[in-house]
Amino acid sequence: MLDISLCLKRPSWLVDSKRMRMTSDFQWLLLTVLLLYLTNRVNSQEKRTLPDLKCVTNNLQVWNCSWRVPSGTGRGAAYEVCIENRSHSCYQLEKDIKIPPLLPGDYEITVNPLYGFGSSKSKFILNEKNVSLIPETPEILNLSADFSTSTLHLKWNDKGSVFPHYSNVIWEIKVLHKKNMEIVKLVTYSTTLNGKDTVHHWNWTSDMPLECAIHYVGIRCYIDDPQFSGRKEWSNWSLLKNISWPPDSQTEVFPQDRVVLAGSDITVCCVTQERVLSAQIGSTHCPLIHLDGENVAIKIRNISASASSGTNVVFSVEDNIFGTVVFAGYPPDIPQKLNCETYDLKEIICTWNPGRPTSLEGPRSTSYTLFESFSGKYNRFSGNKVSTNESYQLFFQILSNQEIYNFTLNAQNLLGQTESTLLINVTEKVHPRIPTSVKVKDINSTAVTLSWHLPGNFTKIKLLCQIKINKTNSEHELRSVTMRGVESSNYLTTVDKLNPYTIYTFRIRCSTDPFWKWSKWSKEKQYLTKEAIPSKGPDTWREWSSDGRNLIIYWKPLPINEANGKILSYKVSYSSDEETQSLSIPDPQHKAELQLDKNDYIISVVAKNSAGLSPPSEIASMEIPNDDLKIEQAVGMGNRILLTWNYNPNMTCDYVIKWCNSSQSEPCLMDWKRVPSNSTETVIESDQFRPGVRYNFSVYGCRNQGYQLLRSIIGYVEELAPAVAPNFTVEDTSADSILVKWEEIPVEELRGFLRGYLFYFEKGERDTSKIMGLESGRFDIKVKNITDISQKTLRIADLQGKTSYHLVLRAYTGAGMGPERSMFVVTKENSVGLIIAILIPVAVAVIIGVVTSILCYRKREWIKETFYPDIPNPENCKALQFQKSVCEGNGALKTLEMNPCTPNNVEVLETRSVAPKIEDTEIISPVAERPEDSSDAEPGNHVVVSYCPPVIEEELASSGAEEGGGASQVIYIDVQSMYQPQAKPEEELDSDPVGGAGYKPQMHLPITSTVDDLDADDDLDKTAGYRPQANVNTWNLVSPDSPRSTDSNSEIVSFGSPCSINSRQFLIPPKEEDSPKSSGGGWSFTNFFQSKPND
Amino acid sequence: MDLRAGDSWGMLACLCTVLWQVPAVPALNRTGDPGPGPSIQKTYDLTRYLEHQLRSLAGTYLNYLGPPFNEPDFNPPRLGVETLPKATVNLEVWRSLNDKLRLTQNYEAYSHLLCYLRGLNRQAATAELRRSLAHFCTSLQGLLGSIAGVMAALGYPLPQPLPGTEPTWAPGPAHSDFLQKMDDFWLLKELQTWLWRSAKDFNRLKKKMQPPATAVTLHLEARGF
Repeated sequence: MLDISLCLKRPSWLVDSKRMRMTSDFQWLLLTVLLLYLTNRVNSQEKRTLPDLKCVTNNLQVWNCSWRVPSGTGRGAAYEVCIENRSHSCYQLEKDIKIPPLLPGDYEITVNPLYGFGSSKSKFILNEKNVSLIPETPEILNLSADFSTSTLHLKWNDKGSVFPHYSNVIWEIKVLHKKNMEIVKLVTYSTTLNGKDTVHHWNWTSDMPLECAIHYVGIRCYIDDPQFSGRKEWSNWSLLKNISWPPDSQTEVFPQDRVVLAGSDITVCCVTQERVLSAQIGSTHCPLIHLDGENVAIKIRNISASASSGTNVVFSVEDNIFGTVVFAGYPPDIPQKLNCETYDLKEIICTWNPGRPTSLEGPRSTSYTLFESFSGKYNRFSGNKVSTNESYQLFFQILSNQEIYNFTLNAQNLLGQTESTLLINVTEKVHPRIPTSVKVKDINSTAVTLSWHLPGNFTKIKLLCQIKINKTNSEHELRSVTMRGVESSNYLTTVDKLNPYTIYTFRIRCSTDPFWKWSKWSKEKQYLTKEAIPSKGPDTWREWSSDGRNLIIYWKPLPINEANGKILSYKVSYSSDEETQSLSIPDPQHKAELQLDKNDYIISVVAKNSAGLSPPSEIASMEIPNDDLKIEQAVGMGNRILLTWNYNPNMTCDYVIKWCNSSQSEPCLMDWKRVPSNSTETVIESDQFRPGVRYNFSVYGCRNQGYQLLRSIIGYVEELAPAVAPNFTVEDTSADSILVKWEEIPVEELRGFLRGYLFYFEKGERDTSKIMGLESGRFDIKVKNITDISQKTLRIADLQGKTSYHLVLRAYTGAGMGPERSMFVVTKENSVGLIIAILIPVAVAVIIGVVTSILCYRKREWIKETFYPDIPNPENCKALQFQKSVCEGNGALKTLEMNPCTPNNVEVLETRSVAPKIEDTEIISPVAERPEDSSDAEPGNHVVVSYCPPVIEEELASSGAEEGGGASQVIYIDVQSMYQPQAKPEEELDSDPVGGAGYKPQMHLPITSTVDDLDADDDLDKTAGYRPQANVNTWNLVSPDSPRSTDSNSEIVSFGSPCSINSRQFLIPPKEEDSPKSSGGGWSFTNFFQSKPND
Repeated sequence: MDLRAGDSWGMLACLCTVLWQVPAVPALNRTGDPGPGPSIQKTYDLTRYLEHQLRSLAGTYLNYLGPPFNEPDFNPPRLGVETLPKATVNLEVWRSLNDKLRLTQNYEAYSHLLCYLRGLNRQAATAELRRSLAHFCTSLQGLLGSIAGVMAALGYPLPQPLPGTEPTWAPGPAHSDFLQKMDDFWLLKELQTWLWRSAKDFNRLKKKMQPPATAVTLHLEARGF
């Protein structure tokens, strides 16, 4: 059995052209197969099914079946087809049969060829499941385009009338563009078939403007009939329809002036015949997308919000540019803070905030519509002309019979719309305008009428207004007033409880009841209320003049709240028992001097203004004496001072405290104060009070007959330290004391109550001493605190005589120390002490002298022995005489030459035990010589004394004549200079009984040089040098030609006895050998005047 | 005006003589008509001032138009703005113009430009721009009046606006925003060129109208010959 279902498994979606060609091939094939089959059939005589029976339906009403004709069957063969299960209906037809739809189930179909071909009767089994439902190819009725919105409109007919019952249809629509037909959109669209022909619409908006390229649209369908159990297939695609921009030689850019949502994508194309070189959006270049021909497009993704004039897109060709403007923005925000209120109940003003900017301006800006739903009225507002700073507002006329308004504010632009709603009762949303034309009118001195204008139709509601009343130098006062709205819009109210003759400033603001908002305050209106009579008489006081003849009446000007107007004058009346007199005083004057006798008078003062006279103030002239009066002191604080007094029941009327500056002359009055009669204290306070100024306060008590001075007080509101130091002088000075006297400090400079003085003193000169830091407690400063302020002198005792003292005086008050004043005083000399000081030393000296004399006298022998032992006289020495003669005949030229002079050797035998004979060291010791080669000399007890040969006096004289200017020089000849002047054995042997006082040997000089070696000698001198003798003083007394001098001529330093180069005599006078001192002096003088006796 | 050369020399000489004597007549010197010189100077000054003012306005306006209009090298072809009076002219042609023609052309050009500018003002989206444009329009109106004054002083009649050629600002729907921006750009550009040209024109006229004393002397001497 050949299953026909196999034949039906052909793919249903073969396209038309191919299918057509294949159909013709199949016909031949079918016929061949059929012929073969029939041959077999003749042979076998069996029931067989026709191969390739295929049944399709378009509309479920007719099945269209076809089969393959067996081969060999000629054209024009006719068949009879019979369907068994149905009332055996048979159809005659050629090749395919159209049969009505069969109910579900298998049907046997018999096909009998009508002419020839034997008995090839065929039988088939047909079931609905083997039937395909292929809808008819749909047909596009119309394809149109809205180029401005780039929208395609597709219209087609579903031909539903041919379908027997409802069924769902799925349409598939494809959109292709460009000549190469790129699919840009493939969508499905579902409808239902309802038994009638229905035209369907489908709109599609292209991303790319439709002008940019040709667009094709095709459609096919698929019928999903639930009752049909066969195979359902898509219909064939309809014929494509296209839309294209009418070809024009002009270059154009699309889309033009398009408004798009910021952030979206947009494609802009340029339709042109020229080659586009570049494209840019704003200043950004974009890659080109090539379309058909020279057309290009650019795709802008996520476009940002435009500036106010839009975003420019420009295509550049070789010599021109083309462009468009894209407006990218946002749909309007929901209007925020929508508020509707009225100023005058004639018009409602609604304001709002537009919210986020849309970036669309000018004709594309948001337009607002205010719609009132109850009345159905609306008002429009275009944001086109609103600058950014202006508020968005719309007016709405109030309807006479409507109080509740339901507003809807609709905001709309090309990208969308939003709205905001508000329901108000307009009478509760009244924000009155500023009151104008404020006027004030007098009623009396304490009340005025205030009127103002408040525009608005408030007749149906109540107004609540506030009046701000400002008085100069006081806080403002608010008064509220409620009133009904009037048609004239002029309002009036009375303001009372004002002060007479006072400048008031009025301002008004209003609101409505129920309260919504205050209006702004009106402009200020200033007004001076009328005058009234002064409420009180002036406060009066009286003072007798210093001579007691005149009574001066003082009164204080009335404060403004009591004067109630401008005081023009005062009327002063004084009346005694006998008479009454009065005088008028013009205003700025506040005292009057009355010549009264000593009678008791009652003086009354009345103030007068334009409204009338004040009540009189009366005061009695009599002053009741008070014997028991003391002056007291008081100190206040700041600018106030507390005064107290004892309660006095006799005082029936007010106490009066008057005060004045104590330095002022009488009658002195600065001010006064009245205190009720039951008080016993008061605080006086005045701006006039100054610290450091003394005031006199007088407390008066008042009786019927007059005033009595109860207390007199001097006081300071604040004490200060004295401004100056007290002047002080020294009255008397003795050796150990000083009397100081000082003067009082004047009250003006004292600046407080004087508490005492501080007196400092110390030793010190004017220039060197200064009392610094008196309070720092220096030890050497003595302080005296004088607290008795009546004391004016001070004696300072226990001082040292003839000593300079530094005195300082300062005064102090309760506030502290004043400045200091200082003085330097020298105490007198103490004469007795001086005398004693002189006498005692003198007496002591005398006594010591006497005692010493006595002692010396008694021990004179011992002293003589000790200090002045006997010395042998060298002149008695014969050896010396001998030498003198030997040396005669030697010329002066040989003075220094020792060689020609035959040395004489003197042998002196001394007995040490006898006495030290050589006392004069100056003569003897220097010339002690020990010959270098003294084999013949006994080293033990022989002293070889070399000396200068004595010069004959005549030679000296001739020498002096010959040499002329040759100075007489003293040279110290070391007779043994060529030899070592060692310590002589004689010295060693010699035991000096006096010890240090006697002769002292020279230093032992190790002489090795010869006499020629002068330099060496020099050195020796320097190293060994001269050693002074024990009695150095003696040497020191010597003249410049002292033995220590070095003679340049001789160049040989010698020590020992000086001797004149001329005389060659020893310069020591032989006779003065007892006293070394005189010997030295004598030597010196002798030397000096040596030649004189010779001359 | 078909005077022969000799006649014109004579008239010129007469005129020169009169001009020569003018400084010698004190009363005339003080109260007499100063002639078109000062008003030409004023017009020239106003032109220079407008040039300065336009520089600032153009900067603001081109920024408002956005890129690429505010780019310094932006130079689109002058297409579709044929109605705008064109300031650029061949040098030879310009030289061949006489004073009257020059002034007439100036006057006509500014009349047109002013009209376009007012349209621009109506279109401007921002209030600040509107203010700037309004201010400039007022100044340009002043320049127009000044040119009219110079023409009147020189005795030239004002050009009558031909009916139908009066430029009207009609931003039709066919006029896209981009083309409008191009027009605005060219309007500003032409305005600038016209102000340059006018400055040159008035400078030339100013020099021409100054009575050169040396030239008078020369003319008198020439007469002697």
